[in-house]
Amino acid sequence: MFSRWNWVACGFYLMLNICSPDASSGLVQSCGHIIPESPVLALGSNFTALCILNESCLDFGNIYASQIIWKIKNKVVPKEQYREINRTVSSVTFNDTSSLATPLTCNILADGQIEQNIYGITVTVGLAPEKPRNLSCIVHQRSRFTYVMTCTWNPGRHTFLDTQFRLRYSWPEEIFPDCVPKDVNNSCTVTDIQFFVNTEIWVEASNALGKAESDHLVVDPIDIVKPLSPQNVSVSSEVVPTVLKLFWENWISDAVMTLKFNIRYRIVGDANWMEVPSEDTASPRTSFIVQGLRPYTEYVFSIRCMKEDGEGYWSDWSEEKTGITPEDQPSKGPPIWRIIDTSHSPASWTVHLIWKALKPFEANGVILQYEVTVRDKSSLSSPVKKYNVTSTNYTLQLQEGTYEVTLIARNSVGASPPSVLLIPASNSKAPVKNLRTLPKHDKLWVGWTAPNSYVLKYVVEWCLVSSSSDCVIEWQIAPGDVQGIDLEGIKPFKCYLITVYPLYADGQGSGQSVKAYLKQDRPSKGPTVQTKKVGKAEAVLTWNHLTVEEQNGFIRNYTILYKTIDGNETVVTVDPSKTEYTLSSLTSDTLYTVRMMASTDNGSRTGPDFTFTTQKFGKGEIEAIVVPVCLAFLLMVLLGVLFCFNKRDLIKKHIWPIVPDPSKSNIAQWSPQVPAKHNFNSKDQMYPEGSFTDVSVVEIEADDKKSFSEQDLKPFDLLKKEKSTSEGHSSGIGGSSCMSSPRQSVSDSDEGETTQNTSSTVQYSTVVLNGYRDQTPLHVFSRSESTQPLLDSEERSEDHSGGADSTPQRQQYFRQNGGQDETSTDRPCFERAKQITHANEGDLVGFVQLQISGQSSQPLGLGMEKNTQEPALSSVLQTCTEGQTVRPETVEENPLSVDEMPKSYLPQTVRQGGYMPQ
Amino acid sequence: TGVVPFVALLLLQRRPVAGRALLVTGSGCPSHGLCMKREGWGHRGDGGGGGTQGTWGDTLLSSQLKCQGEPFSSESDKLCNPAGIVFPSFRVNRTSERKEVMVAMYKLFAFLNASLGNITRDQEELNPMAKELLERLHNTTKTTRGLISNLTCLLCKNYNIFQVDVRYGDSSKNKSAFKKKQQGCQVLRKYVQVIGQAARVLLPHLSPS
Repeated sequence: MFSRWNWVACGFYLMLNICSPDASSGLVQSCGHIIPESPVLALGSNFTALCILNESCLDFGNIYASQIIWKIKNKVVPKEQYREINRTVSSVTFNDTSSLATPLTCNILADGQIEQNIYGITVTVGLAPEKPRNLSCIVHQRSRFTYVMTCTWNPGRHTFLDTQFRLRYSWPEEIFPDCVPKDVNNSCTVTDIQFFVNTEIWVEASNALGKAESDHLVVDPIDIVKPLSPQNVSVSSEVVPTVLKLFWENWISDAVMTLKFNIRYRIVGDANWMEVPSEDTASPRTSFIVQGLRPYTEYVFSIRCMKEDGEGYWSDWSEEKTGITPEDQPSKGPPIWRIIDTSHSPASWTVHLIWKALKPFEANGVILQYEVTVRDKSSLSSPVKKYNVTSTNYTLQLQEGTYEVTLIARNSVGASPPSVLLIPASNSKAPVKNLRTLPKHDKLWVGWTAPNSYVLKYVVEWCLVSSSSDCVIEWQIAPGDVQGIDLEGIKPFKCYLITVYPLYADGQGSGQSVKAYLKQDRPSKGPTVQTKKVGKAEAVLTWNHLTVEEQNGFIRNYTILYKTIDGNETVVTVDPSKTEYTLSSLTSDTLYTVRMMASTDNGSRTGPDFTFTTQKFGKGEIEAIVVPVCLAFLLMVLLGVLFCFNKRDLIKKHIWPIVPDPSKSNIAQWSPQVPAKHNFNSKDQMYPEGSFTDVSVVEIEADDKKSFSEQDLKPFDLLKKEKSTSEGHSSGIGGSSCMSSPRQSVSDSDEGETTQNTSSTVQYSTVVLNGYRDQTPLHVFSRSESTQPLLDSEERSEDHSGGADSTPQRQQYFRQNGGQDETSTDRPCFERAKQITHANEGDLVGFVQLQISGQSSQPLGLGMEKNTQEPALSSVLQTCTEGQTVRPETVEENPLSVDEMPKSYLPQTVRQGGYMPQ
Repeated sequence: TGVVPFVALLLLQRRPVAGRALLVTGSGCPSHGLCMKREGWGHRGDGGGGGTQGTWGDTLLSSQLKCQGEPFSSESDKLCNPAGIVFPSFRVNRTSERKEVMVAMYKLFAFLNASLGNITRDQEELNPMAKELLERLHNTTKTTRGLISNLTCLLCKNYNIFQVDVRYGDSSKNKSAFKKKQQGCQVLRKYVQVIGQAARVLLPHLSPS
């Protein structure tokens, strides 16, 4: 029990005493401390620290040095480095301080279990300063009387410590305040300097680990001055055109320091400086005459200075000042050349004289004008012509001959030496040989082999070859003793045409030309190929040459690349002069892709793909097939025609059957009123009754016919019997309806012409009868003016059928398969009557009566009403009856109108109208 | 006026001095290496051509008079007459030995250095806003110190003279403003006169022998 309380008390005590490293001045005291306190250690050295326990802790806490644990940060130092000096002191030793870190703590393991911190120190590891090296000083002049001295040095390695550098300087018996650098450790500026006194200068570096001192520099500050550059520089021209005089002011009095100078100058626009010989400016001065300059040239000058004896430093270059030398007369005549245009007439020349403006150093001033003198050498009596020109070209009209042209440039000072150009009548002299070119960096060298004769000079012409514009000629004159020049301003990838003319004292040689590139590239585009002709196994390809702008070099060859979709590519190389090529051995009916590549020395460029398909058949193959086929077809047609011709009767029988002639019917033969004019005999012969094999009747629907009652039909039938002959002439198709007048039909049948007219022009009409119950029906006649010719049979039926049959006949057409359902409700009311005409006309009356009586129990016109609409039926019947009733009256009331009616079925107006609604 | 600037004097001192070496009586020159470096120097060839221009001493005197106000501005000849002031005797001539010339010059500039110190202190008190004057005084004082430093080396190295007795004048510290001004301008005027004389005496001794 006691032991437990003892340890509790001990722990509390430790908490109060141990856990407060800086509690020495507080209420509680630390149980120990470390010696040395916050040491600064040299990197790599050894170090020993002692942890000393207080006696009070020993007594109360029962702790001893053997329980001490050393730690660096949180890492326990190996116990091999510990040493228990006595029961209160423990030491730790580090052979290399580089393994140290902050903090280094002394800890106790109370009762072998609880680790408590006793004390801790901060360890600083660094290096002693190195000796500053390379100390140098320079005195900068800030103004006329202000100088500062700046010294720089190499501070050496980094020390990891706070290291101070001091620049110290002194006289033999006087030491000045140190110069302490700010923010840097390698330079310092002293503002209080004195010339002509030897000054000792050195640098001291110091930190917690030591001090180092640089070598001492003993120097008179006047010997390390970098003066200000001369000021107020000015340039003035003198009378002599090749000199300029400079003036300036110095910042330093000669009493303090005498100076020497450097003068440099350059032409404006030229980056290269020239310098006045230093020995000419080695003495103190404030002006200098620069000689050997070019006339009328603007120069830039700049000056610098330093101590005359060479001690110290050059100043910076002064500000640049310019000056222009005076003008002088031109030093040489302008180079002149000519272009002769003989396009109008070989005997009459248009001579374009062209010359180059003199370069500034040749013109020596502003060229005011050129004087051109032309002398005809072929005629000594011809006067010399002079022209004053301000431009650099002049055009003359001269007759073919030999001329001497002299050119002089003139400025404000004088005239240039003359330039002479001989224009011979012909370039009959020897030309240059072996003309060639060679690129040299950005210049194109043109070389030639000189002719055997002495050449005064050469003229080299060149121009940029273009497909879109004319060749603009540039030219240059070369001395007669050279055999090559460099052409400048030549653009790469452009084609130039270069011509060289040798000029002799008495004439001119013909020009030799060559095309050249300064630099070649691959073409900018490839040729566009297309087919000119495609066959079964060959294709003719065509393309256009690339323009000179697109070539970018000399085209060495074209390459054609073609392939099928799934085949290998075939390559063909073609001469660059060609624009057409025939691909052979192609597969028929195959899609080919072809493209073309143009190549220069520096690469190739491929044009777009082009596809084509070879023919399936070769030339003539189709003709070889088609022609025999056609011939065979024609033969077959011919045979067919012949066959048909031979079998025409049989064909006619089936295709063109004989239409029965009503005139040959029994009734016609029976009727005494059959007009004699009708020659039925012929038809009887042509169409014997027995020849009708299959004749049917086509029925035209007319619903209103169904509305006729038996009573209505009886008198009509009787009338038809009485006038069967005349009424038979009335047309059943042309203009009759159920309300057609029998008289009208009779009158129509009287005239043979009528028959003829009817056959040519037939008028159809449709009769629409409206009436409902007791209302008066409205009769509407709608006429058709069809010019369709009637069948012969129709004409005849119109001519010969009876008047009572006129209505049903109007509704009948011949039709095959005549077995119609006669009971059909769509049948018109007189359908049975139609059958009589071709069945047995002798039974006509009885049949009609039977038909009507048979329908008494079943009203007519049921095709429309289907017996379910009795009122409508009765109305229809009434309408139909009324129509039948009225019609004879109309005939009687207006008999003349019937006679006067045209015999043909012309359109009938209401006024004429037998068809007025009633 | 015959006034030679300090700069000229400084330059003149740097001429190689060939003279009879005295016995070394001391333990060595102060900053021995520094003095040894001086030997062989001296290469001015124009003889101090700047002497014809405005001199520091002359300019300093003018500047000092300008700042003192009346009556010194108008009565400078009378008030600044240095006839009665204490000043080191400069009893050497062109034929004197170099050693004597150097010693005399050392005494002269040591006195002048002290006097300039007094004048500077007085003017800082009397004309604290006269920046230009004060700057000239500082520069002149420093130049004087440079002369003394060079002479010290010269005497030590060539003549083994390590100590020269110098008699200084009265201090103006507790004098009136007028006396301070008067004493200052008197010293400066005397200084201008003596400098010219010193330069003339020194020139023959600067030629390499």
